[in-house]
Amino acid sequence: MAGSNKADKKKAGTKDYSRRDFLVGGGAALAACTPAAAALPTASPAPAKNEYPVSTGYLVYDGKKCAGCTTCMLACSLTHEGVQNLSLSRIQIVQNSFGRFPYDVIMAPCRQCVTPVCVEQCPVGAAYVDTGNGNVRRIDSDKCIGCRTCLSACPQQPHRPVWNHLKKKSMKCDLCLDTPYWKERGGVDGHQACVESCPMKAIKLVTKTPSQKETEGYDVNLRNVHWLNLGLVDSSTVEPPAVADQPPLLFNVPKPEPETKE
Amino acid sequence: MTGGYTGKILRVNLTTKSVGTIPTERYEEYGGGHGMGSAIFFDLVGDQLPFEAFDPRNLIIMMNHPFAGTFMPGSGRCEVQGLAPMLHPIEWFAHSNFGGRFTAQLKFAGWDGIVVEGASDEPVWINIVNDEVAIESASGIWGMDTWDTQEEISRRVMPNLKYGEWTEVDDTFTTQIPAVVCCGVAGENRSRMGALLHGPGSQAALGGFGGVFGSKNLKAISAIGTGNATIADPQAFMEARLWFRQFLWDVDNPRRKDMVGGFYFWINGSPAGANVTNNPYFGANALPLVPARAAACASCPRACRQRLASGDSNESVCAGTAAVRLEGASLKLTRRANDLVQKYGLSHWHFMPMQGYIQSLYNRGLLGKGKRIESDLPMDQFGTMGFLDMFMNQIATRQGIGKDLTEGLARAAKKWGTYEEDLKSGNLSLAYWGTAMHYDPRSEAEWGFGSLMGERDLMLHEIANYPLHWMPQAFQMAGKEPYLSAEQAVKIMADAMIPYQGDVFMLDYSDGPTGIYSEHKVKQVAWIKHYEKFWIGSNGFCGWRWPMCFTNNSADNRGATPRAEPMFFNAVTGKNITFADGMDLGRKIFTLDRAIWTMQGRDRDMEVFPDYIYEKDSGGELMPIYDHKTQKWSYSRSSGRKLDRARVEEWKTKFYDFEGFNTTNGWPTRKTLEDMGLKKVADCMQEKNRLG
Repeated sequence: MAGSNKADKKKAGTKDYSRRDFLVGGGAALAACTPAAAALPTASPAPAKNEYPVSTGYLVYDGKKCAGCTTCMLACSLTHEGVQNLSLSRIQIVQNSFGRFPYDVIMAPCRQCVTPVCVEQCPVGAAYVDTGNGNVRRIDSDKCIGCRTCLSACPQQPHRPVWNHLKKKSMKCDLCLDTPYWKERGGVDGHQACVESCPMKAIKLVTKTPSQKETEGYDVNLRNVHWLNLGLVDSSTVEPPAVADQPPLLFNVPKPEPETKE
Repeated sequence: MTGGYTGKILRVNLTTKSVGTIPTERYEEYGGGHGMGSAIFFDLVGDQLPFEAFDPRNLIIMMNHPFAGTFMPGSGRCEVQGLAPMLHPIEWFAHSNFGGRFTAQLKFAGWDGIVVEGASDEPVWINIVNDEVAIESASGIWGMDTWDTQEEISRRVMPNLKYGEWTEVDDTFTTQIPAVVCCGVAGENRSRMGALLHGPGSQAALGGFGGVFGSKNLKAISAIGTGNATIADPQAFMEARLWFRQFLWDVDNPRRKDMVGGFYFWINGSPAGANVTNNPYFGANALPLVPARAAACASCPRACRQRLASGDSNESVCAGTAAVRLEGASLKLTRRANDLVQKYGLSHWHFMPMQGYIQSLYNRGLLGKGKRIESDLPMDQFGTMGFLDMFMNQIATRQGIGKDLTEGLARAAKKWGTYEEDLKSGNLSLAYWGTAMHYDPRSEAEWGFGSLMGERDLMLHEIANYPLHWMPQAFQMAGKEPYLSAEQAVKIMADAMIPYQGDVFMLDYSDGPTGIYSEHKVKQVAWIKHYEKFWIGSNGFCGWRWPMCFTNNSADNRGATPRAEPMFFNAVTGKNITFADGMDLGRKIFTLDRAIWTMQGRDRDMEVFPDYIYEKDSGGELMPIYDHKTQKWSYSRSSGRKLDRARVEEWKTKFYDFEGFNTTNGWPTRKTLEDMGLKKVADCMQEKNRLG
């Protein structure tokens, strides 16, 4: 490979054994052989709990309304970490510019699960239910040992706990309870940076527990008639109301042949 | 450097296959983007000018800016600079730009920009993964269209990427995919029509930089990063972003929602309106629509693009969806034909007039088999998908008539002997340095003069065109009164135009004493060039978002300009500049660009419009006009106006004088340059006997 500024450059995504593999990828036997792993506490899961008090706040979103601008991600990392970094955002927007609507975007905020597997599986109790703040599921970074159990345990894809590669710890959405770089008060009774900054108003805080089945309780319709009037229809059979008052043509757009639903 | 910069600029030499860095600090005074790019161009090759665009000495410069990777609204553009083979009669040092995610990923990877020098002896692409940079073989990629190229490169960069999951990048993780900018087959073949493409529709259309990529055997540049965009004052930056909400189109409850129709939505910053092939506001007959998403560039709250359920015309806007003329075809086919332009990597902006011109030549009996201009194009199938594919293929691969047209319309017409006659008649409406007339200089004078004093089509809609032309135009077409009268509009707009604020006659488009030939228009064009060079070009701003002198979306119709620009800039960088400081920097950058053009051969007598602008009546465009007899403002089309050669020349003299250029030749003077701290530029010009 000519011109590399590092002779041993490794391709992105080509995976050597990492700390994560050793600790959470089923490599227990190998992990026991490594000094780093040997120094860590035994990663035995906390006793499973059947019930946790439910969160009194949830982020729901509209995956068809999101424009993919990533403003929410940058607002999240800015208010929590003081920098703008997509990899340090606790809400993730995954998108493929070449994809077909609506599958071109995946919105991935934390669900504040009724059964929070991250809390359940954390070996040191760093992931916890904050009963003093609306039962928000949080991670105490002081307690986090960086074992990444919560990352692999999260049943969602992409996993909602996020790896902070600078601090070598996990972190997750706290509904903006701890935002040292934002003056607003967060939490279930306050404001969330992603909600406030989203120009499409595609993220919303609700108090009612969404259905936990798949994504249908979280991925909701936040569009109203004004969205429809932009011409952004859900179905080709829907005609925006404003079109009834259509002004004269501005461009000589050719008369199309009838176009069936694609 | 407390915020906004990573501290290092990537310098890649394709001849020697070496990778190095330039300290950003060396160019920090220019802000970023265009300003840094011009300064770097001058430092690296200024003394060697003039030379040709396909000379290996030419540079591809893509400079980032303090806002790259941040949520500064509408700052996702990537500025591309270098000698531009599309432009005519000289391949001016020019800029082009494209939107999308590229600048953000470049910043996250840790770079303040890229400078590409030399030319490779084999096809290559540049692979940037955080601070690791490699020049990779383009074997198996060279020859691919722009869409396949990006897919293949993403696969090579992140072979383990699974869409919707985290991917490990050297012990960091991302859910994002690499941002790739590339040339198509047109660029590979050194076409002056060659564009750069990022994503399915983000095109750097003007300049022919795809051809420059090709001349360097450079297929693509890919960037992916997991690092930080640093912010000097995070709290102030967050507050600024939330403050900015008052100027945004409220998607759930827009202001004056009763005033629907026409361009009303679009000009006021509504989402999704820029795809003219899936938009009811370009004609009710566009229904039924294809379900679509309003899609944004990185950080843009406007989201003027779309991604469709059919997957065609994704992220293409305006000319990217209207470049191709299909006759009587479905919009679905129209979208796919426009996508072909993107896939070949042809400039949609320059391909648009090309179709009309060859049809005109054919109709005049000049073009066809056995005709004066030999062509095997099946002109009887003009406007069909098959014809267009063949036509594009010929241009991209230099076959048939494409051998001439790939050199651009002006150079092709010169070869055919039709240039002089057709430029005079207006059949060939190449008003702006060999590229198509966009807005008519006879009525929209700021666009005309702004292009003429620059190096290419101005292509800045918010600078006057949307607010002063399309706003009243949209309402007129809807049979309604504009939401601002002409008097109100010029007042609010002029108030924002620091340092010339308050001079409403800057916005008088009459040909009277305060109109288009006056010193007031000199000030407006100077304001435009200075704003263009710093606030827009050096900060990644989008010309569809900035400046925002007025808007329907705020309570008092006042826009975010001039408050927003320094508010955001200072929060990110930790500096303390004013809006006027930025305009001063813009003037310096504009003067530096003029110095480079001067060393390339620019002269006053070249800065003229084609004859038809002086000799043919204009259809006119609705603009604010002041009537000194009635002392009233109104919107008027100025139909039938021609430009007066003598008065244009007088205007140029006033402009040169205002900007500190020699009025005889339009060249920057030593005093002007030295006052700006550009003594070395003056010395270089003097050595070439080109100092004004």
